Amino acid sequence: MRIAPYILYLFLIAMHEVIWRDVTSIYGVSINFTAFVVVAVAIYKSEMIALWFGFLAGLMMAAGLPHSFGLHAVILTIIGLSAYHVRRLLNLDSIYAKLLLMLAGILVHNVLRVLVDQADGFIYLLWSSVLPGAVYTAAMTWFFFALKEGLITYKKLRAIF
Amino acid sequence: MRWISSILSRYRRNVHFVSFLLLSSLLIFDAAGQNQYISQVALSIFHSPFAALKHSYLELTAVAAEKFQLRQSLVEASLRLTELDEVRLENGRLRQMLGFDPPPDYRLLPARVLSVSRERVAIEATINRGINDSVFVNQCLVNREGLIGRIVSVTPDYATVQLLTHSMNRVAVRVASSREMGIARYVPGDGLMVDNFPVQGRVSQGDLILSSGLGGVYPPGLVVGSVASVIRPEEEAFCEIRLYPAANFSSLEELFVLIPDAR
Repeated sequence: MRIAPYILYLFLIAMHEVIWRDVTSIYGVSINFTAFVVVAVAIYKSEMIALWFGFLAGLMMAAGLPHSFGLHAVILTIIGLSAYHVRRLLNLDSIYAKLLLMLAGILVHNVLRVLVDQADGFIYLLWSSVLPGAVYTAAMTWFFFALKEGLITYKKLRAIF
Repeated sequence: MRWISSILSRYRRNVHFVSFLLLSSLLIFDAAGQNQYISQVALSIFHSPFAALKHSYLELTAVAAEKFQLRQSLVEASLRLTELDEVRLENGRLRQMLGFDPPPDYRLLPARVLSVSRERVAIEATINRGINDSVFVNQCLVNREGLIGRIVSVTPDYATVQLLTHSMNRVAVRVASSREMGIARYVPGDGLMVDNFPVQGRVSQGDLILSSGLGGVYPPGLVVGSVASVIRPEEEAFCEIRLYPAANFSSLEELFVLIPDAR
């Protein structure tokens, strides 16, 4: 198992947490990049990789919250493992099936993250940031899958222009 | 040892899960008090480079905004400085004028030059005084240097001044020292000349030339200029006297209209 790509993913998660989260957020709704990477790794890699990458991504995401980063690590590990098993049991050839799985994983992670970090005003946060955040992230995810599955290619883009 | 490795490889998946559970429990309950340390390590390795980058970017943005603001302030300050310089010069001129006395039976009405029409030299000027300020045709204008010209047309708020440098303007003059008289006029190409001055008259280079008051337009005693050169041609009745005008007609700004006193 090569670990270099996963270290790179962890750096990307850190970069998103520090720089891109604020830049890409729209009216307080931000992209959940960590959950996206964890679910994407779970969809394309093995169970053990999903397990440990989810765990480390959770630590990385919540590095500034030492009192709760254990819980965040467990939550992301469970989401990664669940995504892996759903992918193994179901047919995920369709890009929309993958998107649905991604949306579910991100939504669950958003809900649990809010429950762990700020229990007050949960219902308000659910409508104002959790659900829109999941939809926003899933929409961005479509580009990832479209690129990976060859739906968007340089050739096609050049043909348009 | 072999049996341990065979158990590990047989139950590899379970070993991973048990390790995960143990680590998770340790982190959740912070049993060994290690969370702070792990957090610091993660932050310093993964987060701090990006935090430094973000901080540098924000600092650069702030510096750029400050630079833009400072540049704007600099432009404003430069404009203000130019304005203040202009005011300082004007203040100096006005201070010099404060000590300027009008001829007897006249009072001074300050006027500002609005425009100057010129051919090779300035010949006419428009001032911001008119009938509403008791300004009428044939009143004369001076500044602290000397005679400037006379009013030739006037409207309620403005007046046109025929300058000494206009070829149609004539001033009856006399030499301040010898009291001998002539007529000063501007000859395009030659400059300010004195006509009708007899060759035997006493005049020399540097003599002051004043208005004589004859003709009724210009009051006596106003400085017209100084003698630049005197040529006495043989077998001619009159000299050729060239003058340096007292006033500088290329920098007219504040003038005084001589208003005859009502008394």
